[in-house]
Amino acid sequence: MTCEELLDLIHDYVGEELVIEHRETVEIHLAGCQNCTIRIETYRHTIRLARALPKCGKLPTGVEARLRKAVEPHLKAQAGEPGA
Amino acid sequence: MVEPPPEKLTPELVFREYAPRIYNLARRMLGNDADAEDVTQDVLLQVVRKLDTFRGESQIATWLHRVTVNAALAHRAKRANRQKHEAGEAGDDLDGAVSTGPVNRWAVSPDEPVLAAEQQEIIEKAINTLPEPFRDVYVLADVEGLPNADIADMLGLSVPAVKSRLHRARLRMRDALAPHFEGGLAP
Repeated sequence: MTCEELLDLIHDYVGEELVIEHRETVEIHLAGCQNCTIRIETYRHTIRLARALPKCGKLPTGVEARLRKAVEPHLKAQAGEPGA
Repeated sequence: MVEPPPEKLTPELVFREYAPRIYNLARRMLGNDADAEDVTQDVLLQVVRKLDTFRGESQIATWLHRVTVNAALAHRAKRANRQKHEAGEAGDDLDGAVSTGPVNRWAVSPDEPVLAAEQQEIIEKAINTLPEPFRDVYVLADVEGLPNADIADMLGLSVPAVKSRLHRARLRMRDALAPHFEGGLAP
């Protein structure tokens, strides 16, 4: 297996989706190739860094007020408030 | 994307709990604040109108992902009508797009990283440089943590196509982040 062939298998390797024969082939290659070992290690870091991003950070200044202004009449109507 | 809120679902609660999540997903898919705000408003209005039809928080969470993705894609399509964009031009060819040369170790903790604001900004910028078809899959899979089958369903792709795009997106992200994380900028 070449380094370029391994590149195509990284997704399935880190996801533990490779069939055993392919997994063994990858691991034999990794045992003798530090560059590919580091590439897989940093590929995993890339996944972990993305997962660490906040999913519900604060709305930027002004956005909440504008959204509220646009949605408020519908919120009031839904709540059955008079004048909505 | 959405954890169950502790209180009864009300329009106000939906606004407080879900508006930032909708906005963040739309912002990452569309790459700019103005479009994300438009999409968030559209989605919130849809949520408020349909609130009575939801039977639980998990149902609204799933629905919100789908509606936000649909609204973002529709918004992008409208924008593309106004200006020729790179959407759809991300070929399947990896040649030239991803480094195959020597790589270096990163100074990243093996535990769950806690990102400093500067690191977060670096990652967000790198996501923004991904071609849109790759970015959509990457955001939904690696940032939002959705299963590939759900992403395939939302984007109208096969699961193998999702996996292929995700892999290529990760390789591009790895290359984009490498200069920043090789060395001292570890979480």
